Amino acid sequence: MTSFTITLANQGGAAFDVDRRKPLLQSLREQGVDLPYGCKYGGCITCAAKIISGKVNQKAQRALNNRQINNGYIILCVARPMSDCTLEVGVESHDKLYRNPFLDPLAAHELKADIATPLEAKK
Amino acid sequence: MTNHCCGPGYASPAEAMRAPREKLLYTIAIYTGTGIQKPDYLCTIDVDPESSTYSQVISRLQMPGIGDELHHMGWNACSSCHGDASMERKYLIVPGVRSTNLHIVDCGTDPRNPTLFKVIDGAEIRTRTNLSAPHTVHCLGSDIIVSMLGDAQGNAPGGYLQLSKEFEIVGRWENSMGSIKFGYDFWYQPRHNVMVSSEWAAPNTFMPGFDLEEVGHLKYGREIHFWDFEKKEPRQTFYLGEDGLLPLEVRFHHDPDSSHGFVGAALSANIIHWWKDAAGDWQWEKIVDVDNEPHPEWPIPIPGVISVILLSMDDRYLYLCNWLHGDIRQYDISDPHNAKLTGQVWMGGLLGRAPEVNGVKVTGGPQMIQLSLDGKRLYVTTSLFSTWDNQFYPEIRTNGGCMLMVNCDTENGGMAIDPLFVVDFGKEPNGPSRCHETRYPGGDCTSDIWV
Repeated sequence: MTSFTITLANQGGAAFDVDRRKPLLQSLREQGVDLPYGCKYGGCITCAAKIISGKVNQKAQRALNNRQINNGYIILCVARPMSDCTLEVGVESHDKLYRNPFLDPLAAHELKADIATPLEAKK
Repeated sequence: MTNHCCGPGYASPAEAMRAPREKLLYTIAIYTGTGIQKPDYLCTIDVDPESSTYSQVISRLQMPGIGDELHHMGWNACSSCHGDASMERKYLIVPGVRSTNLHIVDCGTDPRNPTLFKVIDGAEIRTRTNLSAPHTVHCLGSDIIVSMLGDAQGNAPGGYLQLSKEFEIVGRWENSMGSIKFGYDFWYQPRHNVMVSSEWAAPNTFMPGFDLEEVGHLKYGREIHFWDFEKKEPRQTFYLGEDGLLPLEVRFHHDPDSSHGFVGAALSANIIHWWKDAAGDWQWEKIVDVDNEPHPEWPIPIPGVISVILLSMDDRYLYLCNWLHGDIRQYDISDPHNAKLTGQVWMGGLLGRAPEVNGVKVTGGPQMIQLSLDGKRLYVTTSLFSTWDNQFYPEIRTNGGCMLMVNCDTENGGMAIDPLFVVDFGKEPNGPSRCHETRYPGGDCTSDIWV
């Protein structure tokens, strides 16, 4: 199988067939979806979307901390689909992306992957 | 040699102070990160009080694509080229931090309606130089260098991109980055053969937003670097420690003979001063320390976050902005070892001291500033960086940023917000945008360096 179906829950459930080898941002923009983006190398969070169902490979992203990942965020400019997916896209999906660090500190396991301390209880 | 016939700028800071009053400003405004799918743009703002469009945006130059995050910018030429009749202060180099695109904007042909002259594609810069995330632009007499905060994948430390005066990529400017961990701003003082550079963080660290916890993991800067300017390599590093967390804007005295300079440590909310002592060694000290302020509902006290500092052209006053507290301060630094607070105004901020100014709800805090050459008018904008805005001032998405003007008393010290000047970027034609750095067509207090 070379393609998967991506459904955009907050764009009326519009569905698109995408190449599993291409980043989702590229595939969706090529089909006319107007999405925000910035760096296009996985470092800047501007294109972040929320995954409602499905699975992606986003090993190349460096922008998200573990809390953001646990809240379902993916970086569309580098994420490639590994299954059919349903996404919320654009800033309407960013309700949990940003936090005030003086109000709401991260726990040690919620930092970015390179500095996070794993939670003992988790696998 | 002093003359008035030749190249751009002014023979001296004293001559710059006698230049005609500014009538136009160029200010960038962004839609990146706002949810509005439009390009960032360069605004031309009318600041001639005799004009019927005073205090209004009179033209807007859109960039070709979305997502650049325009941020800082610089002129192709400044007073460092004053003796060169072949040079002209005509083009603004306007980088996109996220895209790495460099936009070359012609402001000289029609100063009221700048046009796009050329775009140097970010992908080409990344491929040819292994650099990304452009920040500060300075001309070096003829060529131009740009501090680049990351490598092509957004890792620190990046380096310096050199452009020819025809805006062709020359390559990497520096011969070595030494042991420098991060880049950000820089300023050079050629009579002392020195450049000083400061440290923010890797693009992959700061672009997504501010995780305070990463400071303790040494992912943000706390050092400043003194370069051998001619050899293009770092010579000495000062570790500033807890006094110097996130050292950002670097300003030397405008007086080209002076060795005194300053950097604002954003998170420590300190001003660090350096100078060359009688033995010829560089020294540093802390001269301003802004205390953190408690917030009634937050577990962690709020630091000032000094997002910018600026020196008046006569080197008498230092201005700083506490972006999270919401105040701008004026210090008399006639004795640079002993800064005296002489003025303070409030606009926006998280402490709630001035939520509304001149009838506009100020969302964000005082952030970037630009001072008139005569030192009397300080123009202030409120947005820092899209992701950081979204964390600390989420209402900016619907309210947009704003520009205000502060009248500065250059005789006795003191500041007052001008009641008649406000540019509300919440009312822009394509929806609320956010304003950041400002430059003046005739040069300003952060553009011009004398060789």
